[in-house]
Order: sequence, then structure tokens, then C-alpha cells
Amino acid sequence: MFKKVLIANRGEIAIRVTRACRELGIHAVAVFSDADRDSLHVFLADEAYNIGPAPSIDSYLRADKILEVAKKAGVDAIHPGYGFLSENVHFARACQQSEITFIGPTPENIEAMGDKLSAKALMKKAQVPCVPGSDGPVETVEEAMKVAQKIGLPIIIKASAGGGGKGMRVVRKEAELESAYRACRSEGQNYFKDSTVYIEKFINDPKHIEIQVFGDTHGNVIHLYERECSVQRRHQKLIEESPSPSVPPEVRKAMGDAAVRAAKQIGYVGAGTLEFIFDNSTKEFYFMEMNTRLQVEHPITELVTGVDLVKEQISVALGNKLSVTQDQVKQKGHAIEVRVCAEDPITYQPSPGLIRACRHPQGPFVRVDSYAYPGYEVPIYYDPMIAKVITWGETREEAISRMDRALSEFILSGIKSNIQLHKTILRHEKFRDGSYTTQFLEKNFELLEPEIFREVPEEVFLIAAAITAFNDRKSKDVRHLNVFSQWKRVGRKMQLRL
Amino acid sequence: MYFEAELKGKKFKVDVVETRSFWKISIQKEGESWQHFDLSKEDYKRSESYFSFLFKGVSYLVDVIGQDTLYTVYTRNSFQSVKIFNDEMLLHESLKRGGGMGGDKELRSGMPGKIIEIFVKPGEIVKANKPLLIMEAMKMENEMRSTGDVKVREICVKQGDSVESGAVLIKFDPV
Repeated sequence: MFKKVLIANRGEIAIRVTRACRELGIHAVAVFSDADRDSLHVFLADEAYNIGPAPSIDSYLRADKILEVAKKAGVDAIHPGYGFLSENVHFARACQQSEITFIGPTPENIEAMGDKLSAKALMKKAQVPCVPGSDGPVETVEEAMKVAQKIGLPIIIKASAGGGGKGMRVVRKEAELESAYRACRSEGQNYFKDSTVYIEKFINDPKHIEIQVFGDTHGNVIHLYERECSVQRRHQKLIEESPSPSVPPEVRKAMGDAAVRAAKQIGYVGAGTLEFIFDNSTKEFYFMEMNTRLQVEHPITELVTGVDLVKEQISVALGNKLSVTQDQVKQKGHAIEVRVCAEDPITYQPSPGLIRACRHPQGPFVRVDSYAYPGYEVPIYYDPMIAKVITWGETREEAISRMDRALSEFILSGIKSNIQLHKTILRHEKFRDGSYTTQFLEKNFELLEPEIFREVPEEVFLIAAAITAFNDRKSKDVRHLNVFSQWKRVGRKMQLRL
Repeated sequence: MYFEAELKGKKFKVDVVETRSFWKISIQKEGESWQHFDLSKEDYKRSESYFSFLFKGVSYLVDVIGQDTLYTVYTRNSFQSVKIFNDEMLLHESLKRGGGMGGDKELRSGMPGKIIEIFVKPGEIVKANKPLLIMEAMKMENEMRSTGDVKVREICVKQGDSVESGAVLIKFDPV
């Protein structure tokens, strides 16, 4: 077993990994930027080291500083969490060279899946279905037009190095193609310093369904079923559930088998996720990309399968065989996760600042992975997600109503949050019947303020503000009077003494 | 104490009287009749940063942030901004409004961030609710739109600039 593990991350995921370490008797080492001295992961770790200024480029993304701390602290391994350095092949290699175990896939695994075009070629080899498209870079507008005519409109043009919603354009008419092509190239160049673009068929009723896979160093690969993450806004996931209400059993099996084939094709080690685009009208699925790391939404898989994915990562990193076989992994019940973000639920503007009141939901089958606490100031430098609420139920209905109940218990004030938005989504008929697609929030969901905040009568807001304004005014006056009269009294006493 | 209040664009008159055992609060929504609420002080609890009261049999734990004339009320994961004035403040506010138009004729950043894209040029006339620029903060791109019809006088930032909270981004002239 490892004695000491450094967690190269912050926020809830750093805490999640710290918990696994603690349970295994491993000393957890935290790192933090100047903005995170008060962050909860620092308090919960056994040791903590400052790694530089607030912007992540100067701290959490500094592989050199993190390795320096790792050596100083004498750690055996580094867990990168998600984001930051988790899919950085140079970091994974640098760990290897420093003889520190990188708790994650091999550098070769990361490299194989890092570039979308080479990943697609590998997937075709493993007979994993891919979206029809250009099968490689598209160098000219003329070529783009030929591809469009071959696979038929609508199509989507994507920057090869792109991600997070940048460097993508949908083309529905031939006339739009040229400008979309040029825009994609320039965005790729500007954001990712790579203007390579490719073309794919655009799916009309798309759902985002992903399969969790796990490999060990002995060549075993299993899958832990699917997660549906179609509730998204600007390609950022908001709500995830497992199992998906839209995947029929035989398709579930085909997706799981395809994911295992894909992971075996590259000799995958550790936790990974195959993301598929799923056409809800045809029930066909196509490979999109592979994430070579632990995912934000991993807890729903943990709740339905009973496998602790972080402990499993550590175990595999130690060279152990997977603790479960494919036959032993069963999906039991239903789990949902919502991402609670410090943002305005109507305008989606981030809302950093001081958390005043904070009380997390509790009760049966509710899990909260959060780093919020009263008095904590949410910094502006990082992701606005501050908590994940995860519920489990025997059925999907039970998991949903339990989530609704849990969110009602969540008290959070001082910053704005999207808790109430989540409740509104959970009650939407398209969410309830499971027919929602990745366009749900943009197309089917009108963000109406009265809808979102209908639970509290407006008199309550007025009364609260009026009492506060009343007390503020009165306390100013009272203080004034008191100070005056005290001096008067003292003065009188002095006079009497004289 | 008598107040005028504004909530979600609607106007209210509010009267607050504190007695030994009650908060006596009267509310009149514009165009409607007065409503009276007696909140027993036995059901009114106050701690350092928040307080709680019963309204129609439901307990609300509220946190109110703000001062002078603008408060944000948080309760049960809802929140609303309430503008509230008493007589003295009303006078103050009307003076401010009459004292020139400097304040509203600028677009300022609400938080530190980076300018991703600017959509307007100096001299351009921009209609209400049209995008002005995109700013990135907390990994999110936020589109900032014009609140009214304006003419762009000066653009004080350029693409790629990092700006501090409160920085002037664009100056406008009235149309």
C-alpha cells in the first residue's frame, strides 16, 4: 500500500480523493494556491503545501512545482483528480521519471485518446461505431463541401484539438458551410493553436451517454454500465443519471461491450470513460471521445454498482487485479447527481463571494460531495461548481423525488446558486419521461423567474427586507443616542464628585 | 416606519411597526388594497447573520444582504433583490437621479475577468438588449448586453485584456 499520496487538485474532488486515502490508511497531501488557503481540502488533508499564485496556470497547472512538493513531502503517488493535470501526458511522464506513481492511465493511453482524429481511427479498428464523417482533417472548403454532400446535411465542423464547446459549428444549409468552416479553423488556431478541423454527421435527437470502464495492469478490462449526461448547458453537464431511461437492455449490453473492446484496444489501465452520442430516435450510438480520468459524475456509478472507483484506482495503480469481474458488476436501483454551482440560475452569470449560511442535505440515500462551508469565500479563479448532490432510489421515480426532497433541505445564502433551477428541471415533463436530449435546456426549457422562484411568496421577501431596513435605521439612531447619554451620565457623575 | 419598495419591477408601500410582542407589517401592492400581517415575536428568531419568522404557518430562515436602499433576500434557495426607501432616502435618490447621467452611461465589469470578444465599435448606435461583449470569468463566457438604446462613445478595453472588478469597459452617449 502507498504510505503517502499527493492530490494535485482542489475543491470537492480533492476531498473525495482524500476520503479514499484516509479510509485506506494513506497519508493525504494537499496542494493549494494563494486563493485556496481557506479551502476545505486544505483543512481535511494530513499535510498541505502552497504551490503559488491564484490563477491555475501559476499553481494547479504547474507540473514542476507539484512534483517538487511531491518529492519534498516524500509521496509514493500522485492522484490528479479531474481537470488540471489529469490528462496531461507530460505530467504523467514526469511522474514516471521521478519514480512517483501517477494514479491514472499510462502516458501512452492518454496520448492515444488525446487527439480526436487518432482516437477515432483506433476506435474503428476496435469496431466501435463512429459518427459518419470526414475520417480525417478537412483541408479546404471544397473538400468540406464534398464530405457534406456524401454524408448529408446537417453536419458539424469541429476543431481537432477543441473541447468545452469551443471550435464547433453546425451547418444546416450548404450556404452556411464556407463561413462555418473558416470560423472553426480560426477558433481552433486561437484557442488551441491548431487549425485542423474535421466534419461529422450532426445527430438530431442526441443524448450524451457514456460508459465507465476500468482496466488493470494484468490486461483485464470491465465496464460499470452507463451514465446519461444529456442535461447540459453550453456543453457543460448539469444533471447526470444512471441507468439512462432511454437505453434498451440490448443496446446497453452492446455499448458496454464496445467500450470494453475500445479500452482493450489501447491496453487501458485505470478508470476511463467512453463518451457516446446516442440517437434517441434510432437508438444507435457512436463514439465521441474517451476521457482518460475520473469523471465529475463518478458517484452515480458508485451508488448503482457499489464499487468505490477512487479506491479501485489506487488499487490498480498498486498493480493489483481489478477487485470485481464483469459478472459481479450489477446495476442496482437508480442514481442521480446534480451539480450545484455558484451562479445565477436565470442569467447563468457566475456568483463568487462569501457563503453566509450553509447546511447540506442529509437523510437516507443522499450523498453530498461539497467543499462549501459558512464563512468560505468562493474564489473567482476556478470552476463555479461547489457541490454535488447525489441520491439513490430503488426506482428512477424514487431517486428523483428524493433529489427534490434533498435540494429542499439545502440551505445556502450569500451567493447565488442553481439549486432552484435543478428543482425546476427535475419537475419538467421532458425530464420526467426521460425523452430529454442535449438540447433540452436550450430548446424545451424556458427560464422563467416566477417559475423558478414560485415556492416563496413575494410578501416574504418584502417583510424580510423591511424588517432589516427598519433594524438598520433604528440601530444607527440607537447607537447615536446611547453614546451621547453615556457621556452625559459620566459627565454628571464627575460633576457630583467635584 | 414607512417604506416604498420595489420587487421584480413591481412597486409596493410597506409600513413596519415594532411592538413589544409583534412585528406589525402592512403591505400595499400598487393598485391593490393594503394587507396586514402580524408576526409574533415568539416566532421571530434572530442570530448574527440571519433571522427566521413564520409566515402563514411556514418558517422562513432568511438571510438579508445589503444596505441603505438595496437588499438581497435569500430564503429556501430563492433570492430576490428588493429596493427599499424611506422618506429621507427617497429624497436622496431623487437628488442623485437629477445630478447628471454619468453613472448609467458606462458598462462596468461586475467581477474580474478576461475580455474574449467585443461586438461594437465607437460611434455605433446599439439597440437595447444587443450583445456588447463577451467576458470570461470562472471558466464561463458571459455575454453582456445593452440595457437601453445607446451610442458607443469609447471602448476602454481590447480583446484579451484582463480586467478588475468595477473596471469601465465601454462608455456611452445617450441616443
